[in-house]
Amino acid sequence: MADRISALDGHYNTGRFGEPGEIGVTLSEVRSLTLYQLAAWPDTIDAVAAKAAEMAGADAAPGPCAATLGSQGALLRIEPLKWWLYGAEARAIDPEQGTALELSHSRTHVRLAGPYARVCLNRLIPLDLRGQSCPVGAVASTAMHHVAVTLWRSNNGFELFLPRGFALSLWEMLFDTAVQFGVEIS
Amino acid sequence: MAARRLAEGGRIDRTQPLNFSWDDRVMTGYRGDTLASALLANNERVLGRSFKYHRPRGVMSAGVEESGALVTAGAGARRDPNVRVTVQELYEGLTATGQSAWPNVRFDVGGVNNLFSRFFVAGFYYKTFMGAPPFEWGSGTGWWMWYEKFIRKAAGMGEASREPDPDQYEHAHVYCDVLVVGSGPAGFAAAHTAAEAGLDVLLVEQDYELGGDYLNGSDYTVLSTWIDALKSAGVRIMTRTTAFGLYDHGVAGLYERVTDHLSSPSSYQPRHRLWTLRARHTIVAAGALERHLAFGDNDRPGVMSASAGRTYLNRYGILPGERIIVATNNDSAYPAAAELAQAGAAVKLLEARNAVSSGVSQTATEHGVSLSLGSVPMRARGKKGVTALQTAVADGSAWRAGSTEQCDLVLVSAGWSPVVNLLSHRGAKPVWDVDNACFLPGDTDEPVTMAGSAAGVWNHERCLVSGQAAGGRAARALGHSAPAIEAPELGGWVEPIRPLYEVRVPGRKLKSFADIQSDVTTEDVRLAHREGFVSVEHLKRYTGLGMATDQGKMGNVIGLALMAEAQGKEIPEVGTTTFRPPYTPVGIGALRGRSVGAHFKPLRRTPMHDWNLEHGAAMTEAGLWQRPWYFPQHDEGLNEAYVREAETVRRMVGLCDVTSLGKIAVQGPDAARFLNRVYSNAFAKLAIGKARYGIMLRDDGIVMDDGTTWRLSETDFFMTTTTAHAVQTMAWLEELLQTRWPDLRVHVTSVSEQWGGVAVAGPKSRDVLEECVTDASMVSNDTLPFMGVVETLLKGDVPCRIARISFSGERAYEVYFPSDFAGVTMKLLWNCVKSKEGCLYGLEALGALRVEKGHVTHAELDGRMTIDDAGLGKMASTKKSYIGNVLRRRPELVREDRPRLVGIFPKDRSEIFNAGAIICAPDHVSGHGEGWITAVTHSPDLGHWIGIGYVKGGHENWEGKALIAADPVRKGNTDIEVVSPHMIDPSGERMRG
Repeated sequence: MADRISALDGHYNTGRFGEPGEIGVTLSEVRSLTLYQLAAWPDTIDAVAAKAAEMAGADAAPGPCAATLGSQGALLRIEPLKWWLYGAEARAIDPEQGTALELSHSRTHVRLAGPYARVCLNRLIPLDLRGQSCPVGAVASTAMHHVAVTLWRSNNGFELFLPRGFALSLWEMLFDTAVQFGVEIS
Repeated sequence: MAARRLAEGGRIDRTQPLNFSWDDRVMTGYRGDTLASALLANNERVLGRSFKYHRPRGVMSAGVEESGALVTAGAGARRDPNVRVTVQELYEGLTATGQSAWPNVRFDVGGVNNLFSRFFVAGFYYKTFMGAPPFEWGSGTGWWMWYEKFIRKAAGMGEASREPDPDQYEHAHVYCDVLVVGSGPAGFAAAHTAAEAGLDVLLVEQDYELGGDYLNGSDYTVLSTWIDALKSAGVRIMTRTTAFGLYDHGVAGLYERVTDHLSSPSSYQPRHRLWTLRARHTIVAAGALERHLAFGDNDRPGVMSASAGRTYLNRYGILPGERIIVATNNDSAYPAAAELAQAGAAVKLLEARNAVSSGVSQTATEHGVSLSLGSVPMRARGKKGVTALQTAVADGSAWRAGSTEQCDLVLVSAGWSPVVNLLSHRGAKPVWDVDNACFLPGDTDEPVTMAGSAAGVWNHERCLVSGQAAGGRAARALGHSAPAIEAPELGGWVEPIRPLYEVRVPGRKLKSFADIQSDVTTEDVRLAHREGFVSVEHLKRYTGLGMATDQGKMGNVIGLALMAEAQGKEIPEVGTTTFRPPYTPVGIGALRGRSVGAHFKPLRRTPMHDWNLEHGAAMTEAGLWQRPWYFPQHDEGLNEAYVREAETVRRMVGLCDVTSLGKIAVQGPDAARFLNRVYSNAFAKLAIGKARYGIMLRDDGIVMDDGTTWRLSETDFFMTTTTAHAVQTMAWLEELLQTRWPDLRVHVTSVSEQWGGVAVAGPKSRDVLEECVTDASMVSNDTLPFMGVVETLLKGDVPCRIARISFSGERAYEVYFPSDFAGVTMKLLWNCVKSKEGCLYGLEALGALRVEKGHVTHAELDGRMTIDDAGLGKMASTKKSYIGNVLRRRPELVREDRPRLVGIFPKDRSEIFNAGAIICAPDHVSGHGEGWITAVTHSPDLGHWIGIGYVKGGHENWEGKALIAADPVRKGNTDIEVVSPHMIDPSGERMRG
């Protein structure tokens, strides 16, 4: 199959930018996103949760606003009836139980890390990202510059899933914001 | 006045001298100075001119309430007018100039206005220039607008730069348990108490230094102790940040000046930041503002608040005058008088009260302050600065002229106004307190606590207790334990204040200002009363009281008191205006943040955006999307390009990026049932591998959107919508599923971003696809007939889904592929299209093709039209129920004379006409006419200009009849004919072939 071309291709320049000194924020794109939506019906949540956990290689599917890391991939609970399966291929779900839908090309996956990642992100996202409100494993649907984005706080930092068509525009805003902290694009 | 910098003292850093320029003269100040203190230290008195009378004005305060000294700071693109010198920090290289004056503020030709000031009373401009009864000469809007230019020029509040703003600004969000506004004694204590109780506390201070009123006194030892305590308690601190407004649900607006104090700020830092703060509890310890007193020429440079005099002495090490008169009606001015005398000034204190206890006056008199009881200022002398003060003395309950005292500075304290603004933003009406002669914060049910002098508590010790009580209250309200400390009683002066707002002396005509920045005199207020503007809101608008940049911080209470007196009422009966955000001005740049230029709104690119650009696309906006408009060759303009492109599509083949169409996955066992209810035509039995054009109606029977929906499996559909209504349609489907039919097992998910899409249109389109798919039989006429759907692979193993559908009227296909494969897919398809003498085409040609064919877009489906109006009524099912089915049959929507979709030709085929023109009968070219034109184009196929639009009763009704396309403000009238909207290939042979 042909190589995938990211929304940021041609605009993604690695290196150290902005305010000198310590690197406050690292920005990176996580390429070749594999993403599926797994959705249940109100009376099949448990069954689909079990299937989702199995696909991710996790003990159980996460509850609302949370993510779980499994041996195959991660599961993000993005809506009451829906999970995202991240990093693993989905298997079909019996329509009587729910649906599976590939979304791998619909989002651009960007990661923010570093000591000022939270502060930097709060320049653009109206969410309480303090540790007690947004611990590692938290998932939220939020907005950046009027665009709906999905946020997952992982062990690696803040994972942002940007709608592909808006990704470059939002990436530019993230970069413009991050330079004040000293930013490295890796 | 001979203001001078003292040899020592103050919180300035004397090791860091800073050069700055004032009206092109270079001067020196120190790190820690404001522009006001630096100018005072250089003995500059006249710093501004008033906007109406052009009277000289100087520094009148030491804070945000400054009304006199407004200057223009910066130069070139960074020129800012109306900068209050009292809050502008000094930095090396700061450039400031006077404003509202020519040639300068010290000698201003406009000062002649003052000679005629008796004519320029409140309402002068309206009365004079909006008509001069009884003849009404010079009246009318046109005249007023003519005068207005000159009036505006004569008045003045500085001039902003007209160059693009070179700085960046940003928005930010922050969260805390407790927000504390103000870092005086109350703010410190409140923040510390709340933080000690385990809460996340954020303390904001508008000044560049913490301390509030501590900074105005002479003992700073307590400051560092407090700051250390706050830091060790974990309090987050923001300086140079103003809490400018309180909003719903604990939201506060904060305005941070990030680099306004720096000579060469980092280009990586924003200049200003607008914070949206969300707090669970807010403590407002914003202090109080000292009031002036209205007396004759009380606006002269050299008249300032008593606390300001003290601030310049203690904080900035400046003796602001050598012969100082302090005029007061309360206890608070005594420390200022004492400290100024101690610093070497000759100080006389005019006390409005007839007696004060020694407890109040002792310290002052011990330092040599001479005290005159029952005395007030009557009139300031001196033109460009105070040289003497005529006093008045008590005469029973009135005043009579007293002696004239030489002086170079008059310090005034007529009482204090707690800063209740933020609570007032929440709708809590301030309450007048007779004992303290001030407005106090009203009651509120919201989690907002007022503390310190903002709550009407005077002196540091009591303010500390007030802050502790507020911090404890906030902590307990949030479920934390904290000591229950009782808030101190209001007030705290030894002797009661003598309320005094204006000094009037019988027989003396005085020009006394109530609102100095707005040039509102006390006579203006009385005039307003005489003319019937007795409501506070009318008074404000008629005179301008409280409408200047200080928003009445210095003058409102005086104006209210005078109106109360004129009406024979008490102040609370007259009322007060409502404070609204912002508390102090907020830069426009901060409000726009990063939403500027290319980021003014979110920019949405298709996955082949760069590919389109590389292939010469001229782009246009379609909603938020960037779409190819046309692909010019050589030196083609838009018109040549789109005609060529449309013609090539009809003759050969064209390739067009249609990614922006909305795409929705509709999945689930009840998906077909759901679609059958949503669309007006039948979908229940749509075969797998087939697509169908569908029209959705709103509940009211009006068309909402159209598009094709493809059946991929028994339970899986792929819906396309128009670009314009993609979001609306998605939200509509979700709403239906969640609120009306939660029993249906259907999920809808936007996959607009997952799939890139192109239209391959034209007689050779099948040839192109046959060469591009791995299995050519998948796109043969048998496998993929008109309205057929296949899922297959493009060469390079790129998965795709193809439907044979046509917007152009030609044999055409829509091909969708995962977005990340857009580049390779375009390359594959374009090479093939090119080899067949085809072209790339953009939105303009797409429009031309669809107009020829009579296909509708949102220009026709504009939220007013029915399915019948659009000529598609036959599609609507008569055998099922669907949304809009009932109300589309309303009598008004089925009238025979409703507008119907028509095609439009110019009678003279060489003529052109415009979209937006009104279609009229030739004998009645007026009003709304008989219809309108929604879109026009040159038709390559027909060889002349054509249009599409609506005419009453449809084209059958107008066949052979003359009509006019009336376009009065552009082209004028054009004779037209209306025809069937299907202007080419009405039987559809081309697209089915």
